[in-house]
Amino acid sequence: MLKGTHVEKKGKRKQKRRVLIFAVLVAAICGQGVGLSGCGRKQEEMAASDNETLFQESTESLPESSAKAVNFERELDEYQPSKKEYNFYFTYKMIHPWWDAVALGIEDAAKLYEEMGIVINYEYLAPNYASAQDQIKRLSEASFRNFDVIGVDVADVELVTPEINRLVANGQKVMTFSSSDAAKEDGCNRIAYVGNTHNYEDGVALTEAICEKLGYCGEVAVLVGTRGAPCHEDRALGVQDVIAKYPDMEIAEIAYDEDSVDKAYEFTKGFLARHSDLSGIICCNMSNPVGAARAVVEAGHMEEIVIVGMDHDQEALRYLRDGVIYALGVQDCYSIGFDTVQVAVKIADGHLPGEAYPEKTEEITTIIYQDGASAMLRTLYGEID
Amino acid sequence: MVQSRQTGLNEKQKRQTITSAIWGGIVIALILLITTIWVSSGAKIGTSQAVNRVSEFYLEELAGRRAQVVSEDLKINIDYMKNALEVLEDSDLESQETLRRFLGKVKRLYGVDKFALVDENGIVYTEHNTVSGLSRYGFLSEGLREPVIHTLNLYGAKKQVILAIPVDGLAFQGAQIKVCFIQIDINEMLSSLTIQASGSETYCNLYYRNGESLTNDAFGYLSAGKNVLSALSEAKLDKGYSVEQMKDDFANGKQGQVSFNYQGYREELCYIPVEGTNWMLTILVRDNVISQQISSVSSRMMNRSRIQIIIMVFVMFLVFFVLIDQSKKNAKFVLEQEIADRDRLRIAFSQVEREQTAMENIHAAMGSGRWSMEFNENGEMVSCSWSEVFRKMLGYEGEEDFPNVLESWSNLLHAEDKERVMQEYWDTVNDYTGQKTYDVEYHLQTKHKGWRWFHAAGRLSRRPDGSPILFVGLFVDIDDEKKMEELLEKQTVDLQDALAAAQHANKAKTTFLNNMSHDIRTPMNAIIGFTSLAAAHIDNSEQVQDYLAKITTSSNHLLSLINDVLDMSRIESGKVKIEEKETSLPEIMHDLKTIVQADIASKQLDFYIDTADVVNEHVFCDKLRLNQVLLNLLSNAMKFTSPGGMVGVRVLQKGAAQEGYASYEFQVKDTGIGMSQEFIQHVFEPFEREQTSTVSGIQGTGLGMAITKNIVDMMDGKITVISQEGKGTTFTVELLFRVCFGPVRQEVIPELKGLRALVVDDDFNTCSSVTKMLSIIGMRPDWTTSGKEAVLRTKLAEEQNDEYAVYIIDWLMPDMNGIEVVRRIRGIIGEEKTIIILTAYDWSDIEEEARDAGVTAFCSKPIFLSELREILESPFIIQNTEDEGGEEETSFTGKRIFLVEDNELNQEIAVEILQEAGFVIDVADDGAIAVEKMKITSPGQYDLILMDIQMPIMDGYEATRQIRALSKPGISDIPIIAMTANAFDEDEKAAFNAGMNGHIAKPIDIPKLLALLREVLK
Repeated sequence: MLKGTHVEKKGKRKQKRRVLIFAVLVAAICGQGVGLSGCGRKQEEMAASDNETLFQESTESLPESSAKAVNFERELDEYQPSKKEYNFYFTYKMIHPWWDAVALGIEDAAKLYEEMGIVINYEYLAPNYASAQDQIKRLSEASFRNFDVIGVDVADVELVTPEINRLVANGQKVMTFSSSDAAKEDGCNRIAYVGNTHNYEDGVALTEAICEKLGYCGEVAVLVGTRGAPCHEDRALGVQDVIAKYPDMEIAEIAYDEDSVDKAYEFTKGFLARHSDLSGIICCNMSNPVGAARAVVEAGHMEEIVIVGMDHDQEALRYLRDGVIYALGVQDCYSIGFDTVQVAVKIADGHLPGEAYPEKTEEITTIIYQDGASAMLRTLYGEID
Repeated sequence: MVQSRQTGLNEKQKRQTITSAIWGGIVIALILLITTIWVSSGAKIGTSQAVNRVSEFYLEELAGRRAQVVSEDLKINIDYMKNALEVLEDSDLESQETLRRFLGKVKRLYGVDKFALVDENGIVYTEHNTVSGLSRYGFLSEGLREPVIHTLNLYGAKKQVILAIPVDGLAFQGAQIKVCFIQIDINEMLSSLTIQASGSETYCNLYYRNGESLTNDAFGYLSAGKNVLSALSEAKLDKGYSVEQMKDDFANGKQGQVSFNYQGYREELCYIPVEGTNWMLTILVRDNVISQQISSVSSRMMNRSRIQIIIMVFVMFLVFFVLIDQSKKNAKFVLEQEIADRDRLRIAFSQVEREQTAMENIHAAMGSGRWSMEFNENGEMVSCSWSEVFRKMLGYEGEEDFPNVLESWSNLLHAEDKERVMQEYWDTVNDYTGQKTYDVEYHLQTKHKGWRWFHAAGRLSRRPDGSPILFVGLFVDIDDEKKMEELLEKQTVDLQDALAAAQHANKAKTTFLNNMSHDIRTPMNAIIGFTSLAAAHIDNSEQVQDYLAKITTSSNHLLSLINDVLDMSRIESGKVKIEEKETSLPEIMHDLKTIVQADIASKQLDFYIDTADVVNEHVFCDKLRLNQVLLNLLSNAMKFTSPGGMVGVRVLQKGAAQEGYASYEFQVKDTGIGMSQEFIQHVFEPFEREQTSTVSGIQGTGLGMAITKNIVDMMDGKITVISQEGKGTTFTVELLFRVCFGPVRQEVIPELKGLRALVVDDDFNTCSSVTKMLSIIGMRPDWTTSGKEAVLRTKLAEEQNDEYAVYIIDWLMPDMNGIEVVRRIRGIIGEEKTIIILTAYDWSDIEEEARDAGVTAFCSKPIFLSELREILESPFIIQNTEDEGGEEETSFTGKRIFLVEDNELNQEIAVEILQEAGFVIDVADDGAIAVEKMKITSPGQYDLILMDIQMPIMDGYEATRQIRALSKPGISDIPIIAMTANAFDEDEKAAFNAGMNGHIAKPIDIPKLLALLREVLK
């Protein structure tokens, strides 16, 4: 009986094995089919992938001058701040898009510090219209609020310097930034300055450009921004010095638009009405060229009047692209804001100018002509024709 | 020959079958091949058309869904802003820091680039900065009236979406907040919609109605930022489409689709307006890629189908041949198995027969009954056999009496066992693995001996496949063993119970001794230690005084411990009885307040005591025990609440009692350290004290709550506790009392009907309760929890010529002191109207100031309806609801006391105390001497006798009885006060029964003793 059972079990096992082999064989054949179709799909995907490369976009590169003018790819330097939180107060001349560009640099620097775990709290405030008295009041009020550093874009060197000195004497750390400095040589005791240090030279460069374009002969009008603002005054001085060099060049009129496009427009209309031989307009700030170009286009004198001006106003850049404006001096406002925060942190930590940072952090100005306008519009505003 | 012919026929038949199978297979394969080619080529054309159609629908659907997503996203963000403004609190606007904190929180919560508030001057406030925003955010100068969506193209080509909503009614640092906005990076917003990055050929972008791009992303072959309408002008559009139409659609915000050829590629573009914006969402797909893909897919499908057909034909043949071979082998195998089964059965039967015979013999010899069942291949029972021995064990004889069927046995199974036993039986039969053994015990109904215990066990012989053949087993009568076993088990359980009880008692005793040892030694240590220190510094009176104060504290603690232990012991031994007497609840509550007032003041606690809906103020209850319960709870609350905390008592009458009864709830609440949830489970157990760092250092016996619980239980009440660590504790005692006198008078007081009353109390419950009472009286009550508001309401009432006739004002309120409130109200209403100060505190210190301020009367919390009625009914003279303590001091100087005390030390203490108070003392050592002394004493010689109870020769009771029995007026009625360590209720009762006038417990509480003497001698 035992033997019988054994034989029977053996038979059963054999039968099971056969069924198993058969099942495996069928599965293998079917699997082959499935595998084939799987490979097919893979090949199909690979083909699709090959096709994809056909559709990759090539990125148009920017002209070098435009690419250099403003550096948006800023990184913080290697300095390690000693505190975890800073409070800064910045006040500037007036509410105007130019300082909004500076504000973006400040904002991005603060974000990078935040990524490092360092909080930068700040106030960035200005009046609607430039006023030295308002600025003095703001500085005085800020000095009672325990800020680590107060930064000021000086509205009027003569009027504001005493207040800066008073704050410094009271132990407040004060720096100047953006467009206008009140320097040591002006008797100001501010700790450092970040911004344009070559306003006079910018005025010179723009004037040289227009003189060359006019063949060093002709009558030009000069538009300046805020009276007393060092940056505007310095540029105007540069303009006057260059014009004085060339005997056939003459300044017909100088007007201050108080950073108002409307006023610049009105002044230009006046220039055109009063000076029939006018060949050019030299603009020393951001609102000047916009107002001037509007008036010139309106009067239909685009061919007769050469305009040079400052800064990166979108409308001004469009006029540059369209040939209404001949040249624009574009300042790197973004870097001004970015570096202002870096320097303020070091000042707050008790460092004086020296190895950690220079007394004056210089930011560049680039002269842009028509050929670089489109690229600049794209870089600054993402605008494509 | 016949056989060879037959074989030849079979061979021929086989060949024919194989030939037919092969031809059949070939035909099927050809049909498959042809139909597949036909279907594939048809599918290719159809697929191409369908894909084109579907791609149009798909584009429309895709564009619609994405536009909806963008629109929904914008709406959600606007809702976020609204939600954030709703939760913005005044505290968030207190300073720049609080506002920045709030803005930061909201920014992180909603995951936006910037969350900002803008004030009327255009100052923008965000998490980390405050900036002038008028030039950067042009929309701020537009005067926002409804939510708007703006886009910003910031310097550096940072394209941002701004969602702004107008804000109203918020001010920050003196300027109105006008706008709230969120700034979102467009590229981030679109990241979820943009799928070209994944390698797909579908592109998505947003454009303004003039075709200008909102983003800096590339769109198919359009450069990043390029105007889509300008780009389409350069493209070659398919017939039926035009750029002008598209420009119109863009300008009018209409949905549409165009097919075109741009830079040599055919593309499909679908555009759709985004709701709530001036944007157009565009989706672009490349046609040429799709068609290439379709063609590629179709040709691959064809190739695969061909290969598939070949494989299928091959497999079909293979399967066919394998199946034929297998069926042959199966038939052979089944035949072999049947033969083997038959042989095995034959062998098994003969084996069984032999074994059966042997077994019968054994069973007969052992008194165990055999049974057997046979099963067929399907596992069905084919026969059942009960042995005669088994039948006899059950009281049956022969097959007629007990047939050979399973039911003969199973019907006799006890109902409790039947299901289990049958389950076991069939589980064993059906266990084809053969692992299971049948082994059960059960009750069977015997014919003559009733229910008896049997043990049955059996095993199965099985076929190779596991199916049962023969189930053989034995029954054994185990009734006697079972009964013996049960008896033993019962005895074991009894013994274990007894052992556990003994161990528990022993443990309880040990725990009690440990606790007592610790709890008694602790104060004793202080007493002995400080006594030694006092002796060592006897010359330094200041130090000695300090030591004595500490000794007093420890002594009081020791006494309370002893009292608690004795109380607990008496409660547990059932000696404490609840004695219901007519009791005034107001009196209990006022007494309670008086007792704890000093401690409340010294611990600097806020104290609330009030009533709610109490209409039955007089009840039958054990006043002493109720007092003890409330005092225990309140002492505990005070003990575990830090200075500045709150302790409150509340009594409220619930409406659901049966007639003649009233149901009350006493709540004792504190804001103390609270209890852990684990400890709450044991809070009412004796000697339980929570071991936490906060509690250690607070003295207590750990018996208070146990006593309280026992008393509440004895009063047929219920005590519950709710507590949270660090927050506080609320004990609630629910009791049902028989009422006496009926409810308090509810009728209106005619003189006050319709007059206004103002209740001012920072405790809402008091306001609510007093207001209800005033309504019952017929007045028109108002209430407020603010002193300042009370003053304002008074002004308003005066202006409206509807003055308040009565003011009930709390003394201590957080926003304005009650006295100041009274002063200001008096400044408005003059001197005529009634102002009552209601307080839970002792007002004696401020009484003069209060009366100067214009307070008419004081009233003590908790106030009951009867009390309020009494005050308001009486003419308003300068009065006070509490006794003013103007009682004359009784002078003890020269009074003579006869002290009967056997213990010399106690004699000395009593004499010192009494002489200090001015008494002249004579002493007797026991009752007999005292009686003898009284017999010869002339009336008036002594003013009072202080009588100890336990004394040698004659105890205090007997001595008192004998003195009272003397026929000497002035002697037999002399006041006798028991002064004894027998401190229980029944001792007090026994003293009164013996004829004594009072009872004071030892150790002597001097103020209590003097108060009693004053009362008795008055």
